[in-house]
Amino acid sequence: MMIDQQQDQLNIYGTKLDSRLLIGSALYPSPEIMQASIKASGAQVVTLSLSRQNPQAQGGQNFWQTIQSLGLQLLPNTAGCHSVEEAVNMARMSRELFQTDWIKLELVGDDYNLQPDPIDLVKATEILLGEGFKVLPYCTDDLVIARHLVELGCEVIMPWGSPIGTGKGILNPYAIQTIRDRFPELTLVIDSGIGKPSHAVQAMEMGVDAILLNTAVAHASQPQAMAGAFAKAIEAGRTAYLSGLMAERSTASPSTPTLDQPVWHQPAFAEES
Amino acid sequence: MTTVAIVGAGLVGRLLAVQLARQKDVSISLFDEDSTEGENAAAYLAAAMLAPLAESVDASEMVTQMGERSLQLWPEILALLDEPVFFQHKGSLILSYEQDRPYLEDFYRRLKRSDQAQVISSQQIADIEPCLKEHARRFSAGLFLPNEGQLDNRQLLSSSATTIQNLGVKWLSKTTVELDLNSSKVNGESFDWIFDCRGLGAQDDLPKQNKLRGVRGEVIRLHAPDVELSRPTRLIHPRYPIYIAPKQNHQFVVGATQIESEDRRQPTLRSAMELLSSCFSVHSGFAEAEILELKSGLRPALLDNEPKIIHRKHNNIIQINGLYRHGFLISPALVEQAICLMTTTDNNQDLPVYNKLIEVIDK
Repeated sequence: MMIDQQQDQLNIYGTKLDSRLLIGSALYPSPEIMQASIKASGAQVVTLSLSRQNPQAQGGQNFWQTIQSLGLQLLPNTAGCHSVEEAVNMARMSRELFQTDWIKLELVGDDYNLQPDPIDLVKATEILLGEGFKVLPYCTDDLVIARHLVELGCEVIMPWGSPIGTGKGILNPYAIQTIRDRFPELTLVIDSGIGKPSHAVQAMEMGVDAILLNTAVAHASQPQAMAGAFAKAIEAGRTAYLSGLMAERSTASPSTPTLDQPVWHQPAFAEES
Repeated sequence: MTTVAIVGAGLVGRLLAVQLARQKDVSISLFDEDSTEGENAAAYLAAAMLAPLAESVDASEMVTQMGERSLQLWPEILALLDEPVFFQHKGSLILSYEQDRPYLEDFYRRLKRSDQAQVISSQQIADIEPCLKEHARRFSAGLFLPNEGQLDNRQLLSSSATTIQNLGVKWLSKTTVELDLNSSKVNGESFDWIFDCRGLGAQDDLPKQNKLRGVRGEVIRLHAPDVELSRPTRLIHPRYPIYIAPKQNHQFVVGATQIESEDRRQPTLRSAMELLSSCFSVHSGFAEAEILELKSGLRPALLDNEPKIIHRKHNNIIQINGLYRHGFLISPALVEQAICLMTTTDNNQDLPVYNKLIEVIDK
């Protein structure tokens, strides 16, 4: 059976996207390299942060234009916000600035590893969903927090693989798999911690719907090439997932029958020759 | 007599004036909205580190090469000045805490000439900078970049100002400047050559594909009698990367944030806390330092964060811009190229060639 790529689309609050890679706009050596990397990634959604740019006075206008000129869906984030009030205000401001009700909700709970604060995250999610936002919450891989977010009406959640910028991949595959299995209809995005294309493949093979990346691309020696590598990895992982992965087995099972092989192919003989 | 207008008396404008004024039969007018102290110039805030290798982590190959070239040219330029300028060429130090070591490894990987960097132990850190002896154990490893230098930015600005005036340059400071690119006039006056070195002031006057933006930076100046640090030192940190550039008389420039914003407000509390706490964590002697200045400014940058010389051949206008965070690092090499455009018709000078640097407009 062929996999119909047309039918297999990422669903973010009803918006259907062909690319399963969401990409960040921070940390690149230059805006030009950022633009080239985002194009090479094939991503259709770009996250951007407002927190330190004095958005009240449109301080980042010039930089935002370099992102907007790519013509992709913007996903403003609330990075750097420590309280419900800050995050809600930042979300409102970014809706006005960018004319989008998409918001990547990020609430710092610990300053050192930037672990999201799950309690305040749920509170802020409730407020923003009530105001009509399409909330993409950045959360830990806790099943119960995921359930709270889903019950509030989130159609997308974005658990971490590991803390932001660590590049450790999925530290707790069991937890991610549990969320996947318990909420098969939910759009599940791994946000943060993906360091290598192999991490992305692993996540996609588990049935995760999409990957959000930034540091792994922006801090590569060749960001544009790395963006392409991730695009291929995510596509490979997705296709593998849809194709039905074989189950792991504990004994070797040769794919050709051994019955009719000459005896000198046996390892014991091969060593002597 | 060739008449030359230099518009903008920041770092590039001054280096041009110093060098052109020594040529025969050249009459120079220097126009600037700022005072001769240059308090609004990006160069006034800069740490003036000459660190081509450390900057190569993010900077392009061209900027790295221009930085290496400039390090050779600086002593020649300083020799032209009438007052001494503090200049040092004894390397720089890169440190990170044990728990942040992967960030140091990443930094090392991204160096464009990593063979020029020496990986050093905490003992070696203390040997190179004895004042870090007590603190060095927190830094399990570091890098020593022997071929880096620095100078004093404020001394350079004031010494070049004196020199320019001594050379008889007509300096119109605190003057509103109007540069008309079509008629080649500055404030209504015609010139044989015009150099446009206005930085962000030229935002609307560059060819359209050269989109100029400001990148905010916040810098702190300290007077710390208890700290004997003698080389520019960078702390690699996941969120608060800083550098400490020691100047003479126990003055230290600590910087700098880098924010994609044209916000012109004074430094924010968050930025000040990040810079100060990181600085304190490198050496506890900073605790009793006097905060001399806390300032912010904008760096003029093009989309590729590389410099550009726009040569309008038909009317002898040369625009130099986009020095970003690399003013002191690359300006000697940049000015050398710009002067060559004016003084030679053939390109047989022994100057390095930078393929992307010069954009020629013929009409």
